[in-house]
Amino acid sequence: MRRWATPSLLAVCFALVCVLGLGLWSIAFDPVGKSLPERVRDAMGSSGVDHPVTAVLLNFRSYDTLLEIGVLVIAAIAGISMARLPSLEDPAFRTHDALLGALQRWFVPLMWLVAGYLVWAGAKQPGGAFQAGAVLAATGVLMRLGGMPMDFLQPGRLLRVGLVLGFAVFLLVAFVTALVGDAFLAYPEGMAKSLILLIEVSLTLSIAMVLLSLFVAAPVTDATGNQEGGHR
Amino acid sequence: MMAWLMAGLLFTPLAWAVMSLMAGFRAGWRLAWLGMAVQGLVSVLLWLAIADQGGFYYALGDWPAPLGIELRVDGLAVTFILLTATVATACGLHAGVYLDPDKPWQRYFWPLFWFLWAGLNAVWLGADLFNLYVGLELISLSAVGLVALGGAGDALRASLRYLLAALVGSLFYLLGVALIYGQFGTLSLGGVAQLAEDHTALAGAGIALALMLAGLALKTALFPLHGWLPPAHGIAPSPVSALLSALVLKASFYIAARLWLALGETQGSYGVAQLAGALGAAAVLWGSWMACLQPRLKQVVAYSTVAQVGYLFLLFPLTWQVSDQISQQAQEGMTLQVISHALAKAAMFLAAGNLVLSTGSSKVEDLAGVGRFLPFSLFSFGLAGVSLMSLPPSGGFAAKWLLLQATIGSGQWWWALVLIAGGLLSAAYVFRIYRASFQEASGQDDFHHPPRRLEAIPMALALLSLGLGLAGEPVLAIMGLPFEEDG
Repeated sequence: MRRWATPSLLAVCFALVCVLGLGLWSIAFDPVGKSLPERVRDAMGSSGVDHPVTAVLLNFRSYDTLLEIGVLVIAAIAGISMARLPSLEDPAFRTHDALLGALQRWFVPLMWLVAGYLVWAGAKQPGGAFQAGAVLAATGVLMRLGGMPMDFLQPGRLLRVGLVLGFAVFLLVAFVTALVGDAFLAYPEGMAKSLILLIEVSLTLSIAMVLLSLFVAAPVTDATGNQEGGHR
Repeated sequence: MMAWLMAGLLFTPLAWAVMSLMAGFRAGWRLAWLGMAVQGLVSVLLWLAIADQGGFYYALGDWPAPLGIELRVDGLAVTFILLTATVATACGLHAGVYLDPDKPWQRYFWPLFWFLWAGLNAVWLGADLFNLYVGLELISLSAVGLVALGGAGDALRASLRYLLAALVGSLFYLLGVALIYGQFGTLSLGGVAQLAEDHTALAGAGIALALMLAGLALKTALFPLHGWLPPAHGIAPSPVSALLSALVLKASFYIAARLWLALGETQGSYGVAQLAGALGAAAVLWGSWMACLQPRLKQVVAYSTVAQVGYLFLLFPLTWQVSDQISQQAQEGMTLQVISHALAKAAMFLAAGNLVLSTGSSKVEDLAGVGRFLPFSLFSFGLAGVSLMSLPPSGGFAAKWLLLQATIGSGQWWWALVLIAGGLLSAAYVFRIYRASFQEASGQDDFHHPPRRLEAIPMALALLSLGLGLAGEPVLAIMGLPFEEDG
């Protein structure tokens, strides 16, 4: 039985690749309908930013982005719900290396600067909250591995505020625009740029916190059962 | 008015998720009362407004469809929103009493609960293929988080299996979305359907549809892809099992059905339709049979879900290239089946939770004697069972009656056999529980009495599911409302 598992799995994968190839082949020679990039180009003027990716993510399809941030928050919640306090800030994991410390003193501010630049650059070239958040999270990982104490990573109120800050700001903007304006997430005339910037900055912080808390919250567990009725 | 309702509908669950993440379990519960009241009120008002004026498209960010995302607010969507509000409120009220507030991880229950609710609403309203994907992710991840809450060994194993199945399903769906976008250059389901009507049998679109349906079938736990469901639904706390079985599975099925109704006629084939129906039929038989054999009470209910989900997939053969009238009948039957199963299965899981709480054991054989101590919960379990067995006047009966008419009308009599066999088998596993609980032999008389509220909630749900058969007409009438096409 086991002997055939690998070959049959390979066969299934091969068949899937063939089907996908066939699909791509037929689509490439027979596309139907008008392409979206033109529409995006036409609407760029009123989007508040100059880079199409940012315009799509935070204006045209901002609802998707709002919900995606929600997914990130859920992942973080699920992660920290499984972690026990000690594993979050275990002194045993800290190294105290003088060289590492010295290097960090150079690197960390520089990486913060890079993150800040990435947010700002998102308006007119590739960049934005996700990239900046990733850089910020990497900084956090580096700091943690280097043994810098980061008390805010304890699963307390501060951590939870950090996790949802970006999402909350985004949601609030969405709600207020729905009440005073035309629809959920419809930015008022002329305010698109500043609102997008506000959302981007808070998202950067939260995305970094989510990624960092997932890295830090190593799951445990030899927990006692929470199964209903036990094992009787 | 409508703008306020939509804003409230989208905003409340997400905002409550944020607020209850800041609060502990007890404060989160007090908050939840308010949130459930607001959400229930908004759902009812929206339902009334749609019943009055007909459906419409809601453009988010004021960007119309191909560029932005539109929500399709129609009769079916608001019906499901109302259903979600009913079932989720019941599960929330049950959970507030049922879960142990002193366990440190329970504080994360409410945020995940609200995110799940938001995701469900997003899926019912979704009219954009990628937006539907995001909704699915929101649902699956919060559902997995709810199963894993507490992180004991078995729960963790079950939730990891669930996560992997859900992710593979989502990825297949996403692959299909990418191919559809390549083919049609738009993500809006309405736009795709319009383009697909002019071009029959595009090979690429056919493959994309097949991939998406396969992914969604895995997420809906269609036989033989159901292996992940019984452990996950069986091991989660009862209010969570109820949410998962009643609503979460329906979300992926709902997307599959919408895709099939929009694209199946032109890009599907007889083979795909019959295959989906055959797997559904196999699920009905296999799931019911397995439910008869399970030693644990909640596993019985979980396998019954596998069986009941099978019925839903009869929609595929019953709507493919048949007359409009038969297709309409099949769709109405399916809607009633979704609603009545959601109500009945939530009632059943909550009642099962009460029985487990009372006997202190999860095994069927340990139910002996519980019939005398907990007649109320046992009665709710049975009432829910009546709907699953599809006896009149339950919603399950009305649903199967419509499906039966559709099978005869379309000349596909073989599905009628499945409907009858499934009803008999479900009677077998419901009566098995009854038989065990009326036995007197064992010396066990140490029963714990759950609070009254825990017993009242499943009863209310079971009565709703029973009454649905009588109120089927008005529920179905709102589905067929004229839809104002302006997108």
